[in-house]
Amino acid sequence: MAAKNPYESAWNQHIPVKEQMKLTGRLMSFAKYYKKQFISAIILSFALAIINIWLPRVIQEFMNGALAKHNATTATILGAGLVYALGTIVKAIVQFGSNFTFSMGAERAMEDVRRQLFAKLHTLGMRYFDLTPAGSVVSRVTNDTMTLTDFWNVFMSLLVGIFSIGTALVAMYINNPTAAWIVAAFIPILLLATWFYNRYSSKVYRHMRAKLSELNAKLNESIEGVSIIQNFEQQKRVDSEFEDVNNDYLDSRRAMIKTNSLLLSSFLNLIYVFALTAVLIHFGIMAETAVVAAGTVYVFSSYIQSFFNPLGNLMDQLQFFQDGVVAGSRIFRILDNKELAPQQNPGADAVVQEGKVEFRHVSFSYDGENEVLHDINFVVKPGETIGLVGHTGSGKSSIINVMMRFYEFYQGQILIDDRDIRDYPIEELRRKLGLVLQDSFLFYGDIAFNIRLFNDKISDDEVKKAAEFVQADSFIEKLPNTYHARVIEGGAQFSSGQRQLISFARTVAADPKILVLDEATANIDTETETLIQDGLRKLRQGRTTIAIAHRLSTIRDASQILVLDKGRIVEAGTHDELLAQKGKYYNMYQLQMGKGDLSQD
Amino acid sequence: MGIFKKLGWYFKQERKRYLIGILALVGTALVNLVPPRVIGILADLFDQGHITGNATWWWIGLLLAAGIFQYLFRFAWRNMIWGGAATLEKQLRSRLFWHFMQMDDTFFQRHRTGDLMAHATNDLNAIQNVAGAGILTFADSIITGGSTLIAMMIFVDWRLTLVAIIPLPLLAVTARRLGMKLHAAFSESQAAFSRLNDKTQESVSGIKVIKTFGQDQEDVADFNKIVDRTILINKRVNRLDSLFDPVTSLIIGATYVIAIIYGGTMVNAGTITIGSLISFVAYVNALIWPMFAIGRLFNVIERGNASYDRVQELLQEKSEVVDKPNAITKLSHTNIDYALDHFTYPGAHKVTLQDIRFNLPEGRQLGIVGRVGAGKTTIIKLLLREFDQYTGVIKIGGRDIRDYTLAALHNAIGYVPQDNYLFSTDIRNNIRFSAYEKDQPAVEAAAKTSAIHDDILQFADQYDTLVGEKGVSLSGGQKQRLSIARAVIAEPDILIMDDALSAVDAKTEEQILSGLQEDRANKTTIIVAQRLSSVMHADEILVLDDGRITERGTHDQLLADHGWYAEMWAEQQLTQSMERSDA
Repeated sequence: MAAKNPYESAWNQHIPVKEQMKLTGRLMSFAKYYKKQFISAIILSFALAIINIWLPRVIQEFMNGALAKHNATTATILGAGLVYALGTIVKAIVQFGSNFTFSMGAERAMEDVRRQLFAKLHTLGMRYFDLTPAGSVVSRVTNDTMTLTDFWNVFMSLLVGIFSIGTALVAMYINNPTAAWIVAAFIPILLLATWFYNRYSSKVYRHMRAKLSELNAKLNESIEGVSIIQNFEQQKRVDSEFEDVNNDYLDSRRAMIKTNSLLLSSFLNLIYVFALTAVLIHFGIMAETAVVAAGTVYVFSSYIQSFFNPLGNLMDQLQFFQDGVVAGSRIFRILDNKELAPQQNPGADAVVQEGKVEFRHVSFSYDGENEVLHDINFVVKPGETIGLVGHTGSGKSSIINVMMRFYEFYQGQILIDDRDIRDYPIEELRRKLGLVLQDSFLFYGDIAFNIRLFNDKISDDEVKKAAEFVQADSFIEKLPNTYHARVIEGGAQFSSGQRQLISFARTVAADPKILVLDEATANIDTETETLIQDGLRKLRQGRTTIAIAHRLSTIRDASQILVLDKGRIVEAGTHDELLAQKGKYYNMYQLQMGKGDLSQD
Repeated sequence: MGIFKKLGWYFKQERKRYLIGILALVGTALVNLVPPRVIGILADLFDQGHITGNATWWWIGLLLAAGIFQYLFRFAWRNMIWGGAATLEKQLRSRLFWHFMQMDDTFFQRHRTGDLMAHATNDLNAIQNVAGAGILTFADSIITGGSTLIAMMIFVDWRLTLVAIIPLPLLAVTARRLGMKLHAAFSESQAAFSRLNDKTQESVSGIKVIKTFGQDQEDVADFNKIVDRTILINKRVNRLDSLFDPVTSLIIGATYVIAIIYGGTMVNAGTITIGSLISFVAYVNALIWPMFAIGRLFNVIERGNASYDRVQELLQEKSEVVDKPNAITKLSHTNIDYALDHFTYPGAHKVTLQDIRFNLPEGRQLGIVGRVGAGKTTIIKLLLREFDQYTGVIKIGGRDIRDYTLAALHNAIGYVPQDNYLFSTDIRNNIRFSAYEKDQPAVEAAAKTSAIHDDILQFADQYDTLVGEKGVSLSGGQKQRLSIARAVIAEPDILIMDDALSAVDAKTEEQILSGLQEDRANKTTIIVAQRLSSVMHADEILVLDDGRITERGTHDQLLADHGWYAEMWAEQQLTQSMERSDA
């Protein structure tokens, strides 16, 4: 399980303001494909703000008009009720429309980022995957993108807030300019409160999140390492360490609760009462000399509320801005990654016919510093087998890696049918070059899927034939649902030998012209061992084969054997020629003979 | 409501906190009654105009005072009640953690790490919600709801109140129904998220296979299909979520319409004043939240209850491996007498070990070899008492190992497991994991014995280097050697190495083995290995196949037997010679 750390924390990361602006701009640009949704949501939320100040106005008119004079007819009363009812229905519809369009726009835009990231991953070279832990790649695609919805929401809340405050102010101004100015005087206080809250609480919030990450990481680690803890009798110590983290988290949470109770909705309510008091004082002074209609008092109490209401939400949302920027910077690091998979020549259109392979003075290094292949030369004629022998790190796997175009090489040439490997479209290479890996990877799905993968052109019959060909059918037939038996993550329910056989069948079904073979060294159970040897022999029939062998017997009949050492070919020739040389190969073979003697006994 | 009773112990424990919290809630509710009434009264006063006297200013002063008290009371109950919830969560988490630390292998087989994490996060969250939001909504719906209703009837008009609040219970129904649906949809959305996560995980792990078969485009298409499904599922969540506001607006709107029509008629007839009607509308606003709370309360309670039961169930699971009453706390010597008839893993059908018998006197070395899955590790697991249910007797120091306390047994054994799990702390603390009191020289000595000291000096922070995700990534061989150092630092009477040298090269292996021989001259060592050179110097070697001992003897005896051991030996010599020919 590589996606181990979902609690990964970047909460303490700091990004300069200028960079933040740039990231924000780029993150906003993701939303542009859903411009229509976002703009309609914004228009609707503006409409909502208008309705919100219009509805109290209906009541005000009603009160100040007929009601104040006590001469309302049933018709006027019912009329006011009806208008209000209709207004409410419109309001509900607009509310739904605004919420739903926005959340769907954000959802789609976010999923687009996921698609882009995932597609980008497939264009990256193997080196990227060598250097980046799988868990963090996964977290970029799924978790970080999730943060973006909240990020876009910050801007929506901001707009809603501005609309609501703006319309309320205008409505108040129309009613009573002085009172409107009095309320407007509270704007600086609000800005200050928002700024202060955001500054102060985001610190507390980040601290709390960091503590939570730590807590969960500790918990996770202690569960995974529980047998070690128990075997070394360290339960008490680990528990007291956990208790410390647990207490720290509690403290940080209490601090968060305190901050929120001091500064958030209760504080806004306090300011609301202050503003209301100020306006009432103003009305009180006015009422000493004139009449202030009851409806006007009502409408102001209502407008002041819509003036303050959106702020709580906005203050709550602001903290997601920072999260979005942090996540965005990580997302862009993948999207901007230049470590691309090797490219073919433009207009490459060659087709592999015979399957002849040639390496001409190929040198290669993974990091541009340490050469792992040095001046490699060899030719494999169509249908023949070349064997690669050498210890770990001698360069055998690197030959496969450049041959399969997992990594780009910069010196020398690889030729297939006497044409540069870069002249073939990558799809052609993938179709004609079959690689059998040491550790056979199985995908979630069923057996048939694992044999044909996404290639629907391979019929059920061909899947079966491929399995029969490598004798994988014997165990597959015994499974419940045979070819449709479920394969769980990584194929954990099969032995490594069975997994090998399935991956052989996969290669047979793809029917490549050239076979690249990395023989498994893994321990394989007895029953399947012979099946695998058989399978390998059959795979090689009629195919040009480049084989890394750990058992010399596999490649004894190869037309050529290369002995590699530190990235160089140190011995080359047929089995008999190499024996005659009495070099490294000879020594190995002697030992194998010795083994043969023993087993014949 | 059962969950409140189940959590009774906690509320009793924290009764002061909750008492203050609820008193503050009552205070808030009462103070909340003031502003609507004051606004109504002032509206009536202003409406008459040409006011004289101080009445206006008293009322305004009262409003201001109410605002300040609201702030204070709210601060108090939030702190008390939310703080109480956080504390409950912390206490339960401590309990769960300590429980996990006591559990045996069977427990962890049954519950995967991810599930246990989910219990410790999601379930605890649902429970703390009961102690926070649950208590709040419960108290609030009764106190605030009740007092507001009474105020409406007293200050405005009881008939108007009874008629106007007819639509309000719908709020509770909405909160409950929509809340339930949303919860279900949200679970589905989370499942969709997991699918995306799994898909990405798999593609990243299988990237080489995908590239090999040229299936990048297809894989992207498959991912996009999953994304499409996710969007569809999230659409449902968003739709339900977007319904909350409009439905609330409609229900409140209906109350307003009643207030306009019925209340307007009453004002017109002079039964109530306009100011009263204004108060009335403000009181209706104050009722929104309590009504919503009732509906939410059901959901909070339901989820909290289910979670509490799950956590309790987990806490009630007992480890199969426990100390007997009056268990022995000290081993007299460390002769091992292993006489196992057979052992089957709990829940498995196939017998894993059968007829395993050996005798290992103190100070000797035992080697165990065999194919993958032959049962080598299981022999060790039984010795470590990860399982107690088997037929046969395993004795150390002449007593059944089940007669000792686990601590006594574990303290006598230093174990190097196959998967060499390291903790995300620095190298020093990883090495002295089993003996935190050890100083730097002791740590270095252990590191030297395990041939990892020189590697450690290569790191910039040396022994302070962090291990794990946030620290340096160690090679398999380095992890193994650290894990050996961790086991030897406590100088255990018995050292068990379970395939602990598979990732180190032959030269280092020799170095470690001879180092151990020197340091542990008179102490027992058991070595489980794939590579036969690890065990060739052992006093006895057991060859295991399919849970039985098929060959046994010293290295020379086994070679002479020309069996599996001899065959493997030849093969491994060959591969090693390939490695060495290079040196």
